[in-house]
Amino acid sequence: MNLALATPMVLVLLPLALLPLLLSSQRTQSYPSVEGIETDPLSVALDWLLRIAGVVAIAALILGIGGLHRLGRTIEKTGEGAHIVLLVDRSSSMDNTFAGRAPEGGEESKSAAARRLLKDFILHRDHDLVGVAAFSTSPMHVLPMTEHKGAVMAAVDAMDRPGLAFTNVGRGLALALDMQEADTSPAARVIVLISDGAAVIDRKVQEQLRAAFARRPINLYWLFLRTEGTPGISTVPAPDEQDTPQAMPERHLDKFFKSLGISYRAFEAENPQAVADAIAEIGKLERSPITYFERIPHEDLKARAFAVAIAAMLVLLAAKLAEVRLVPESEEA
Amino acid sequence: MTTANAASAAPPPVDLPYRIIWRSRALRQGAHRSTQSGAGGLFRDLATLLEYRDPRRIDLRQTLRDPFGTLHVRRFEEKSQIGVTMLLDVSGSMGFHGASRKMGLAADLAQVFATAVRRAGDTFALYAADDHVHEELSVPPTRSRAGEAEMIAALRAYVPKRRSASALVEAARRIGQRRNLVVIVSDFLLPDAELEALFETLIGHDVVPIRIVDSRESAALPSWGLLELADLETGRRRLVAMRPSLKAEWQRRIEARRSFFRTLAARYGREPFEITDSIPWDRLGAHLAAGA
Repeated sequence: MNLALATPMVLVLLPLALLPLLLSSQRTQSYPSVEGIETDPLSVALDWLLRIAGVVAIAALILGIGGLHRLGRTIEKTGEGAHIVLLVDRSSSMDNTFAGRAPEGGEESKSAAARRLLKDFILHRDHDLVGVAAFSTSPMHVLPMTEHKGAVMAAVDAMDRPGLAFTNVGRGLALALDMQEADTSPAARVIVLISDGAAVIDRKVQEQLRAAFARRPINLYWLFLRTEGTPGISTVPAPDEQDTPQAMPERHLDKFFKSLGISYRAFEAENPQAVADAIAEIGKLERSPITYFERIPHEDLKARAFAVAIAAMLVLLAAKLAEVRLVPESEEA
Repeated sequence: MTTANAASAAPPPVDLPYRIIWRSRALRQGAHRSTQSGAGGLFRDLATLLEYRDPRRIDLRQTLRDPFGTLHVRRFEEKSQIGVTMLLDVSGSMGFHGASRKMGLAADLAQVFATAVRRAGDTFALYAADDHVHEELSVPPTRSRAGEAEMIAALRAYVPKRRSASALVEAARRIGQRRNLVVIVSDFLLPDAELEALFETLIGHDVVPIRIVDSRESAALPSWGLLELADLETGRRRLVAMRPSLKAEWQRRIEARRSFFRTLAARYGREPFEITDSIPWDRLGAHLAAGA
């Protein structure tokens, strides 16, 4: 309980709350002698109740006037989840449908489907830290690792912008790795690469990536949004075809990922349903324990303080109304 | 006098008859039976002239009947005065102002007694005490009227302080050895031991306890409600959640205290006279005239 006051000066008045212990709220009436008459437990209990109600009423009023509030803070909690970087391909082909056309009518582009499903995925992952990066010709740092769902949603939405033509997977991965690097917590790290094609990774870049992946364990998922009719990850080239990265970039990128010696899975999706299945699969796999920080917002407790004061004063008022006099006031001298 | 009650607002009677069943030993002539022989109206006995040299009262018939020729004289009782002392409790509890003012009633009593005693030719003394004897309120034994009005005025104006009535015993010791008619005016809300000590001290006197009670302190207690009571003597505060069962319990306690007092009073002196809210003068007169 991190309680604070907006005006701490009012605490000077707090000793006033002890007054009800010394003085009664009831009007005292003289009585010849109560000696020899035993105290009645109910009366004693009531007496203390009224005194405490008085203390509470004054203290609550003072705290209310002082602007009692609970400070916003973050608390550490443990849940299931991972630190995920979404690495999204922004090449222009993503704006086509799975059939490779510009979307018409009710058709959904690959990026739209991916966006919708990713947002759904993020919404259901409570404790994940998510970062977003995009790449086409060059990588773009869209959103640093954050637990702020709204920001992640907005970043995923931003994939909507028309992309560029080129697909530079290598530099995109390097950026995603950098983003993971900046995070020092022991949580599970995940990079989800969403693309509809692959490209050749430069030998030098390959070496750098290899070294970077070797530094710390990272789970890599490649969600390959395959356009119908194009070669897939596992397409083995015909004997007469060339088996070079240039000719079959997907197959060679997959091979490269497999050669990294990290936990890696590729999902090939040819329609939105397959994308959904793949994302669900990723969600199932990434369930390692994670410590996360929950932010508890600043809370104004003034109203509650006043409510408590009113409740206490109602008790006192009831007691006041229940007061009777030995001698009617009209007869008092 | 600010009593609201109509009965006690009635003017106090000028005279209050009081009678004693014992014989006064005082030499001074007065209105009460005494051990002195003299020129009273009541025949007492016969004595020889040698025993009682008063030839004016030679009883001829008895003298003639005597074969030895002794001269007989009739002896008559002489009426003597007595001392009347009022012990007035001015402790805190007497400051209670319920249906009437206890101090007002006490002042009324003092006034009437002072007048009645003076008219009867007896000496009147008044000692007011709480935890000490109040000299300014007390009157030494006197037959004079001087100071009477001041005494009454002082009593009426006196507001009892938060003190106990522990000095009543000391006041009782001031009365002296000669048998007095001692009127104790108090609410008798004393600790049992003090009450007993008071009566013990007054054992040689004719004690008339007059107990002043207020209906508001017992009989007319409210049945329901919260009462914050402050004890007039100890100043102790007590919140009371009054309800019929508790009221009955209080009345039982108050009655127990009263019956203890009545037993004690009956053992040491006359039956106590109780005044509730207003003074029933005729009943008080009858009570005093009964003499026992």
